[in-house]
Amino acid sequence: MKRKIKTIPKVIIIFLVSMISFLPFYYTIVMATHSTDQVLMGLEFIPGSYLLENLKTVLNSEYFVAFGNSIFVSVVSTLLSMLVSAAAGYGMAAYQFKGKKILYNFVLLTMMVPSTLGMIGYMQEMRMFHLGGSLWPLIFIWIPNGFGVFWMTQYLKNSLQAELIECARLDGCGEIRIFFSIVMPCIKPAIITLCLLIFLWSWNSYLLPLVMINRADNYTIPLFIQTLGDEHKADIAAQITGLLIAIIPLIAAFAVFSKDFIRGLTEGAVKG
Amino acid sequence: MRKRNPLHKWPYIFVAPFVITYLLFYLYPMLFSFGISLTDWTAVDMDTRNFVGIKNYIRVFTDDPMFWKSVLNTIKIMLIAMPLTIIAGLLMAVLMFNIIKCRQFIQTVNFLPYITMPVAIGLIFANIFNMNIGPVNQILEKLGILKEGLNWLGDSRYAFWVVILMCMWKNFGYFMVIYLSGLSTISGEYYDAAKVDGANAVQRFFKITLPLLRPITTFVIVQGAIGGFQLFDEAKNLVSGAGSNIVGGPGRSLLTIVWYFYDTSFQNNSRYGYGAAIAFSMMLIVGLISLINVSLLNRREG
Repeated sequence: MKRKIKTIPKVIIIFLVSMISFLPFYYTIVMATHSTDQVLMGLEFIPGSYLLENLKTVLNSEYFVAFGNSIFVSVVSTLLSMLVSAAAGYGMAAYQFKGKKILYNFVLLTMMVPSTLGMIGYMQEMRMFHLGGSLWPLIFIWIPNGFGVFWMTQYLKNSLQAELIECARLDGCGEIRIFFSIVMPCIKPAIITLCLLIFLWSWNSYLLPLVMINRADNYTIPLFIQTLGDEHKADIAAQITGLLIAIIPLIAAFAVFSKDFIRGLTEGAVKG
Repeated sequence: MRKRNPLHKWPYIFVAPFVITYLLFYLYPMLFSFGISLTDWTAVDMDTRNFVGIKNYIRVFTDDPMFWKSVLNTIKIMLIAMPLTIIAGLLMAVLMFNIIKCRQFIQTVNFLPYITMPVAIGLIFANIFNMNIGPVNQILEKLGILKEGLNWLGDSRYAFWVVILMCMWKNFGYFMVIYLSGLSTISGEYYDAAKVDGANAVQRFFKITLPLLRPITTFVIVQGAIGGFQLFDEAKNLVSGAGSNIVGGPGRSLLTIVWYFYDTSFQNNSRYGYGAAIAFSMMLIVGLISLINVSLLNRREG
């Protein structure tokens, strides 16, 4: 009984904080259910009935072209980045080799260097490759990911079983096969966590597409959204509705993999 | 006979994709950018690229108040928002740790802001803090805290705090989840032993929880600092969400380094040379600050 009374203030605080966290999101839903004119008259607290109209506006636009572009960019970036990071992490965690220490410090350094530093050069480089304005520059930038390599190295150092790999080697298993069929399944939580984060970061990425993409048919969602409306007035309600749709894949992904995500974070960030 | 390890080439093969793509997509562009930063290249006149030496850098450091303003803004926003977010995330994680009911739900609700698009966050906050239609003013007026609604986004003093609130709102749940996973690795025996010794909850927090969470706090601070210096999306979208085209918002109080870099390099005549010099100057300052940080941390540990 005493325990229960002690937890009440805790519960109240948790409830209040969660409310504050959720309130802006709630207003997003409210805005998506009103027309832009209604929104501009004053935000109400109660959802309206305009959601279907807003959905129609969004769906009748080129929204799904942008949605498809975003999916393509994020899925390909995530897969390539994860593979490259896992391979490099495995190389650093499982082998002894000359230059390992230097390489490790190099990886740490790459984590600190933001992509903005080389952005102008990157843009010119992509123009040289005749890829300027295409979706590929948005993907390439995620492939070498210092954070991913660091993450995988730490995780593998903690969880790799050397005996298992030795056994496979003695059985005549090649190194590539060991990596794909023994190591990768062992580090599933780390892979899922990294995939979720890279997918999230590339999905929401704003500055690079803003700089790189100049053709409307290559817009990703964040760029496309801002074109909804006419030249006089942005259609805020439709924009918000489109953004609300864009968050659904992320919520679904994090909900499905939430257990692995927490486990991956626990075993990667925490022990590292 | 020389004995050769048959495995010697494999580690190099495994790290090669990372190293090669890094050279190709990061290091080469950086060197290219550095070269550009020594020229007066602009998009207006793509064919003339005169070498000007370190003239751009001299101008950035000695004759560009906008640059220093953007540096100061970025650091100010980071220094206020990051500690508050970390403390809030940590406290919430500690409060939540023993609660099992609805845990998944609470986590999800608090994590939502982190996965929301910055464009959306800007639009949402621009409307919530709108002077006339925003609920913030309505609520504050109803509660009698304010007599008259504040012009949150039109006044540089207030807009600055709105951005800090945005950063906190966005990252709080992420930090909380990371701390929660950290708490789960602390063995309960420590707490039991401390309870036997008569330590109260506050003492247990400062003597056990906080020291054992130190690696996580480092991880969170490093991630927060890297993200903090890159702050652009939230500030830019708050201003454009409010329907304004002013670079840096009211009084340029929201002009961050990356925003200034973006505006110089890709808007405003696209001065590639000068923009690249801004990017490298930013890196120089970030590097200096990190060095000071590292030496301070080392001194404290040693």
